[in-house]
Amino acid sequence: MNHHEVVHILVVDDEKIIRDGSQRILTKEGWKVETAENGEVGLELIKMGDFQIILLDLMMPGIRGMEVLKKIREEYPKLIVIVITGYATIDNAVEAMKNGAYDFISKPFTPDQLRIVVRRAEDKLKLEHEAELLRRERERSLKDIAYEKTRTFTIINQMADGVLVTDKHGTIVLHNPAATRLFGLGKDPPLGKHIFDWTKSNELTQIVEGVLSMEGANPPQGMTRELSWGSPPNVFFVAHAAPVRNEDGEVLGSVTIFNDVTWFKKLDQMKSDFVEMVSHELRSPLSSIRQSTSLITDRLVGEINEKQQEILSRILDRLDGLLLMINNLLDLSRIEAGGLIQQTEKIFLPEIIQSAVELMTPEAGKKKLHFEVTCDPQLCTIHADRQGMETIFTNLLTNAVKYNQEDGKVIINAQNRGEFVEIKVTDTGVGISKVDLPNIFDKFFRIRTEYTRKVVGSGLGLPLVKAIIEAHLGTITVESEFEKGTTFTILLPRGIS
Amino acid sequence: MARILVVDDDPDLVESVTVSLEKKNHVVIPAYGGIEGLEKAKKEKPDAIILDVMMPDKNGYEVCKELKADQVCQNIPILLLTAVASKISTTTYTHRMGMETEADDYVDKPVEPKELVRLVERLLKK
Repeated sequence: MNHHEVVHILVVDDEKIIRDGSQRILTKEGWKVETAENGEVGLELIKMGDFQIILLDLMMPGIRGMEVLKKIREEYPKLIVIVITGYATIDNAVEAMKNGAYDFISKPFTPDQLRIVVRRAEDKLKLEHEAELLRRERERSLKDIAYEKTRTFTIINQMADGVLVTDKHGTIVLHNPAATRLFGLGKDPPLGKHIFDWTKSNELTQIVEGVLSMEGANPPQGMTRELSWGSPPNVFFVAHAAPVRNEDGEVLGSVTIFNDVTWFKKLDQMKSDFVEMVSHELRSPLSSIRQSTSLITDRLVGEINEKQQEILSRILDRLDGLLLMINNLLDLSRIEAGGLIQQTEKIFLPEIIQSAVELMTPEAGKKKLHFEVTCDPQLCTIHADRQGMETIFTNLLTNAVKYNQEDGKVIINAQNRGEFVEIKVTDTGVGISKVDLPNIFDKFFRIRTEYTRKVVGSGLGLPLVKAIIEAHLGTITVESEFEKGTTFTILLPRGIS
Repeated sequence: MARILVVDDDPDLVESVTVSLEKKNHVVIPAYGGIEGLEKAKKEKPDAIILDVMMPDKNGYEVCKELKADQVCQNIPILLLTAVASKISTTTYTHRMGMETEADDYVDKPVEPKELVRLVERLLKK
């Protein structure tokens, strides 16, 4: 039945006056009413029609009302039947109710009594309809939930990344096959075990317990750490752990996702080994060639003429370029292998800057360049790798000199910036065009202009500088104006003071 | 004038070092490997040794350690020649190895002939 549909009523009574009267009264109320003068006709109409409420007289000739009622209840259990009884036949009414009638009305009745009893029946219809709707809704949401559950289950199980879910005590309550595969613990069921008892990993336990203790109003951020597994380590993964909270922000448990990076690690190691091997193999013969060439240019094996000297000097320059590139490659591969910051110590950057300036002074003299160094006298010391810092400033100043104009300047400024020390290295050189600017920290990138063609370089200086700075958790940015000059800005954290 | 043992598996390098040293009237005893270098050091008792690190048969660190443990040779100054070199991490490395092997000085390859002569002569004065 549709909720908005007009209720369809059938009045079954042998008294014409009741039939007509009821029809008139109920039609006025907006209901649709039909009548039948006896039980047989009534049942026939019910079979054909679409009634919701039946008003049924119990005392009729022919088939008795009670029989009609029983038939209706058997065949059309959804129909609401109101029995009409004579004044003195309460017993009949009671029996009718026992047989499934919804209500009764006794003759003679007033129009009001009729309206009330029918309206009550209509209300019941509406209630039943709403209950039906609710029931269907509930069934659908139950289905949705069940569907959602299997869907989530499938997603989690099919994920290539490992998933471990714990309760607030660190006990594993959910995991996926990738996790057991990653840990190589396929035979050992993890459910119900404490994360440490299952994985025996201190580091993992630490981060899980770390996120479980993230109480309070903190945003639900997680922790990420790179972990290795096995001894010697043969599985490497990145673990992202995050707390699960309820509406009040209370931590209920943790979810940890494991990203297997073993393959990348292996590739990276292979690449580093390869670079290191090639570099060494190149470096030895180049060293030998350079040393032999120096014998000639140093006149240790006899006199040479000016032209020969000039050509040999060029050979030496190119050899130095190659050796520099190989050194940088070796350094880069070491940094990428994570071996850069060997030991940190307290470093006062102006000292490092000063020695880099001194190192570059002969070169700078050839171009009549001027160094302007201004350092905050209160400049903080930083914790860093000394040789790394030397490499940064030697490289940056080398560039500032190499790509400068005659009579130009190299300006170095160092200031405190909160927890950081900021160093700016500015030159008045050839500058970098907007097109090239985003690429200057890329390995082997070299700007190709008329000017840079004459300058020996490896394309590894700036990547190396950037790698060292980032290994110190610092940043380097660059601003440049073509043919005007370039400024590099470095921020290095002061580190533990 | 001094007698200097030059140990390097690269003949070209031995050659170039020899030329630089002979120019300064030093006598060079060449050795083309770690084991040969060790033997010649003990036999010839040179005034100084230039010792390459990367050698296939016996590396320079080991040779250096053995010489410094040898009663006869322990006072011969040794200059380690490293090709491992690159500025950042290896100088620390070389330095540490120098300390452990008790080498008297060390220098990264390639080295200018003049610089090499200067370093050896500085060692001889000690």
